[in-house]
Amino acid sequence: MALRIPSPRFAAILALSTAAILLAGCADTRTAGSDPAAVGAPITGGTAVYLEQQTYTNLYPPAAGFYPNGGIMNQIADRLVYQDPETLELEPWIATEWKTNETATEYTFTLRSDVTFSDGTPLDAAAVAKNFDLYGRGDADRALTVSEAINNYDHSEVVDASTVKFFFSKPSPGFVQATSTITSGLLSPKTLDLTLEGFGAGNGEDIIGSGPFTITGEKIGTELTLAAREDYAWGPPSVEHQGRAYLDGIQIIVTPEDSVRVGSLLSGQADLIRAVEAQDEKQVEAAGFEVYAPQTNGVNNSLNLRFRHGILSDIRVRQALLAGINRQEVIDTIYTANYPLATSTLSKTALGYVDESATLVYDTAKAEKLLDEAGWTRTGDGIRTKNGQKLTLVVNEAAPQPRSFEALTLISQQLAKIGVDLQILKADAGTYAEAIQDADRVQIYHSIVGRADYDVIKSQYYSTNRNVLLNRNPQDNSIGDPKLETLLEAVASKVTPAERAAADKEVQDYLAAQAYVIPLFEEPQVYSAAGYVQGFGFESVARPSFYNVWLNK
Amino acid sequence: MSYILRRLGQAVIVLLAAFTGSFLLLQALPGDALLIKFENPELGLSPDQIAAIRESYGADIPLPVQFWHALTGFLSGDFGYSVQSGTAVRDLVAEVLPDTLRLAAFGFLAAVFLAVSIAFLSTFPRLAWVRGVLRSLPSLFVSVPVFWLGIVLIQVFSFQLGLIPVINPSPAQELILPVLTLAIPISAPLAQILTRSVDDTLLQPFVAVVRAKGASRTWVLTRNVATNALLPTLTIAGILCGELIAGAVVTETVFGRAGLGRLTEQAVAHQDTPVLQTVVLVSAVVFVVVNLVVDLLYPVLDPRLTRKAGAPA
Repeated sequence: MALRIPSPRFAAILALSTAAILLAGCADTRTAGSDPAAVGAPITGGTAVYLEQQTYTNLYPPAAGFYPNGGIMNQIADRLVYQDPETLELEPWIATEWKTNETATEYTFTLRSDVTFSDGTPLDAAAVAKNFDLYGRGDADRALTVSEAINNYDHSEVVDASTVKFFFSKPSPGFVQATSTITSGLLSPKTLDLTLEGFGAGNGEDIIGSGPFTITGEKIGTELTLAAREDYAWGPPSVEHQGRAYLDGIQIIVTPEDSVRVGSLLSGQADLIRAVEAQDEKQVEAAGFEVYAPQTNGVNNSLNLRFRHGILSDIRVRQALLAGINRQEVIDTIYTANYPLATSTLSKTALGYVDESATLVYDTAKAEKLLDEAGWTRTGDGIRTKNGQKLTLVVNEAAPQPRSFEALTLISQQLAKIGVDLQILKADAGTYAEAIQDADRVQIYHSIVGRADYDVIKSQYYSTNRNVLLNRNPQDNSIGDPKLETLLEAVASKVTPAERAAADKEVQDYLAAQAYVIPLFEEPQVYSAAGYVQGFGFESVARPSFYNVWLNK
Repeated sequence: MSYILRRLGQAVIVLLAAFTGSFLLLQALPGDALLIKFENPELGLSPDQIAAIRESYGADIPLPVQFWHALTGFLSGDFGYSVQSGTAVRDLVAEVLPDTLRLAAFGFLAAVFLAVSIAFLSTFPRLAWVRGVLRSLPSLFVSVPVFWLGIVLIQVFSFQLGLIPVINPSPAQELILPVLTLAIPISAPLAQILTRSVDDTLLQPFVAVVRAKGASRTWVLTRNVATNALLPTLTIAGILCGELIAGAVVTETVFGRAGLGRLTEQAVAHQDTPVLQTVVLVSAVVFVVVNLVVDLLYPVLDPRLTRKAGAPA
């Protein structure tokens, strides 16, 4: 019985466990992560254990922007067009060819004829039409939203079994790229009849696509099992690997705690993990594991200055904030080399990027001078004031973005040196959702958006899209800067890539000249995998692709 | 019998109050789940599209009508749908409830075992030299953050020693570390109360009498002192079931386990009212049932309470 436990042993156990806990901090976690032996031909078979940070919420494709959703969608659904993640070129996939009219209001796609969904129904023109009728128009009765990537969609027309036409009310030059994104994953006609509830977590096995994997098992909130489709034979023609996926299956396990995800990988309990925090990268690399940091190829991780707010309506204040933030120090302190310093609103790898680094110079003397000129004078506690008002600004903590709070804390310290009081809004979801739509409560909005198309800049700043600058005041729908609106509309109405790139350049020039945006860094998604994991790839906004993955062990 | 009926009646009132209270509080919070989900700039929806969705969800229906819908829904077993994922709340809860109940039950048993061990060991004369250490254990346990404890246990037993995997553990393995994580902080107040009661009881005159009659110390402890010391401990145990639910939130997140705690954490993060309402109600039911059982156990453990408790009000 418990009463008879000899005490010395008890004390010994206590002492041992204390010692073990202390050792845990300093023990060497190096394990056989990588095998430097030559990589042979791909081996078919095996199940990969992939650790996710969060549980997926919903598999309605337009909701696939949320990383866990997109990570699943990319395995189970094919798209009309394939976007090469390196070159960002658009290449055939389910569609063998496509053409558009001169005004970009009509598109015709020709489809492969050998593709089936995993429930056996053919992926034909009627099925494709039904997909885009839903994604392009949404269905408010079923709470299914319009895809952010598809603009001005009107209707579809099935010409014959392998030809489908789409019509738009206004030019929609980004449409071909939109058909390549995970938010346009093709699902079987029956799946498209589901309501938002039917697409929700717990119903994974009902979501039928034509992709290389199908969902075969689910434990709500913790685990999803995917199995390879034996008869898959329609990978993008430009990809070397054809036929079925190498893996037999993928086990996606939700492991929210960062240290547990990293520890599981290092101790050999998992094969791949998503979301390696910047501070953990060194540890993972030191143990000989591969770190992958694919770029999101869109609008950079930035601070958006809401210029309609009283304080920020003065361009000198905006320029002073830009000059007062040492972006390089933020990256060196909080992030790693996988987070390149931003040189424009758009990422260097985004379509339409132009270098604006000449406008992004750290210069505290200039910042101080600009604030002096703008009438903000230093007071006793070092924070500047003007007509009794303190120079206090609020920025939101962008919880989905890596180490947002740490970065903002450092920036707040930097700005304090030039007499600006930057406060960070950290709040419950409801308060947060209301506050970020109100320039009186959040004057600086921290966010990014990834999409490898010229349209991405419009998504971020246009009045009826993300509207992050609050150029449209949500209270009265008035527009503060009509010129910005016009420039953004041009991005979505020009037809040729050259014209669209020129329109993107004008927007970037304007944002830089007005100092509306302080771009911080080009945001990657950071993954890690054991050395024996081969062929791990990513689509154009850094969602994982398991089609080519094989286990060299 | 009438006592039990009266207690059941009270339980129903408590549940109704919990339901109404949580409904009102969730409505009073700034924002709502629809705002959080659909007006999130990340979705890039236009104001018209958002308005259409709000209408389809019936967000503009007056509050009393919404309350009535929710209440009648709950009574008929329809808990609605999670706004965040769209999944039926019934499915969400049914899937995770057994896991959490198992974790909580084993966690509680382990906590009792720990508490009893500490309390009785620390009264043994032969262990006098470690009494100080044993008696300070509860203070240590209660101040250990669950979050930290879970991570340390995983680091040591899973990652360093490789004894228990956290990824794909066997059914037996998967409970060991989470149960330990949950049990240690819960055992602290139990051990404190138990130690105190044992000390108090040992000072009672009847103990001296029993000892004088030749009973061994173990006999006195197990037969006489334990039963007397159990009562206050039982009261605390009833209250601690709330701690179990709170502890499960952290434990399940650290260990990546499915469970009510994890569900709660996600629902709170997205202000997912239907899920939160159900969680509150399920927790209230568990709380009410456990405390009812505890109250009914009093007379069984201590015959002195039978008449008092059994008397009509």
